[in-house]
Amino acid sequence: MSAPTAVGARRRRATLGRAQQVIGALLVLVVVLLAWQFLPVWLNTPSYVVPVFSDVLAALFDPAAFPRYVDNTLTTLTEVLLGLLIGVALGLGLAIALAQLPRVYGIVFPYIVAIESVPKVAVAPLFIIWFGFGLPSKVVVVVLLAFFPMLVNTIHGLRNVDRDQIDLFRVNGASPLQMRTRLMLPAALPAIFTGLELAVTNAMIGAIVAEFVGAQQGLGVLILQAQGRMETPAVFALLIILSALGILLNLAVRVLRRVVITWEPHNS
Amino acid sequence: MNALVELDGLNKVYETRTGDVHALSNVDLTIREGEFIAIVGPSGCGKTTLLKILAGLEGFTSGTGRLGGHPLGTAVGDAGMVFQKATLLPWLDITANVLLPVTLRHRATAADRAKVAELLEMVGLSEFAHKRPGELSGGMQQRAAICRALVHDPSLLLMDEPFGALDAMTRDALNVEVNRIWRETAKTAVLITHSIPEAVFLAERVIVMSPRPGRIVDEIAIPFGRERTLDLLGDPEFAALSGRIRAHFEVAA
Repeated sequence: MSAPTAVGARRRRATLGRAQQVIGALLVLVVVLLAWQFLPVWLNTPSYVVPVFSDVLAALFDPAAFPRYVDNTLTTLTEVLLGLLIGVALGLGLAIALAQLPRVYGIVFPYIVAIESVPKVAVAPLFIIWFGFGLPSKVVVVVLLAFFPMLVNTIHGLRNVDRDQIDLFRVNGASPLQMRTRLMLPAALPAIFTGLELAVTNAMIGAIVAEFVGAQQGLGVLILQAQGRMETPAVFALLIILSALGILLNLAVRVLRRVVITWEPHNS
Repeated sequence: MNALVELDGLNKVYETRTGDVHALSNVDLTIREGEFIAIVGPSGCGKTTLLKILAGLEGFTSGTGRLGGHPLGTAVGDAGMVFQKATLLPWLDITANVLLPVTLRHRATAADRAKVAELLEMVGLSEFAHKRPGELSGGMQQRAAICRALVHDPSLLLMDEPFGALDAMTRDALNVEVNRIWRETAKTAVLITHSIPEAVFLAERVIVMSPRPGRIVDEIAIPFGRERTLDLLGDPEFAALSGRIRAHFEVAA
């Protein structure tokens, strides 16, 4: 009966280690921010190349710019979330369907691999032609970018269920429905969430690139405008907003993963 | 006692790109009700194939096979199976895992739950009933897997190298436990193992198989009675029987 205590001790050590990791990470942040504040001055770097950190903060919290930031953040967030919702649903649905139809999967698989290796953001200009400068073209790009990681990872998860677990279900006369709902789906959940994490990262890239290519609103448009006016502090401020958005979305998926997959050992 | 398993001239041929592979050749085997059989042999001798045929997971090419009077593979789920890995579902707690063979058949009753509690008690896992498999050691997980194989009261308990992944001490302890469980439940048991001492320690009869094609080359009765203790490992007769089995593999190698 020594095993449970051993497990407990390992967990405690891991938590202690994590506290140290957090302190270490914060230290790195402080050093980077200090360097950002003082190095450009010491090296005589012009502000339009690398602005000092305080200038970036000033641009970020500029009261005149704030409503614009909020409006355009909401635009980009809408594109990302709407595209994610559709792309994830389509990817998940098609993956589940293909898992039921191994023959169709065999036919479709080479095309999935081929499209997977295409840099999909490159089709953004085409979608602007087809769907215009408004919301739809951005959403379609996000859908395309969210769809593939979801599809590929879900299929991988569904097709790589442990042989012995399948035999266990067969030995006990499990029906095809039981096999799918009580074994394959829960077994595939970690892979599905890996797909979702990739989809979220891709969705952000898709929305921004689509806005670069042609849009009237969004954080990508603001970045281009700031670039045009050589307002480098504003560019950095917008990059900080974008990063925060990305981190927030990623965190939401991780929290969801922990809530759904309660049996997975947590590592940060 | 009645014969539970009757295999007569069983053949299993796999067709592969490089030609046919004769996995099992003319296997004749009768297992009496309540008997404990061990099958030993090197990798590729078809012992796992034989076990899967007994479980109804695989068919065979020719010959006849009957389990409890019915042709093999027709009475689905009349076997409880223990795999080399514990193969517990990580998203279910230990109770739900042990209950799985029942819940795949019908809604679990109070009697089923009582049976699970009783089995967990028997292997000393009562306090872990509501833990997830990830919180248990390898030996405990395999104990839970044995409970799962027994919960629906199958006529045949099949074990495919169940302790191969465990350390020697845990393995010895579990062997003693399997012997006790077998005596208490009076199941017919078939054990596949690489370990000659494990086979001699647990079985009443050891079947020796050899590869290419997989066939039965010897059958050795183990005359130590039903109750086995670890003292047996030092018994000269134990060593002699182990030696006789080992001799087959030295020739083959």
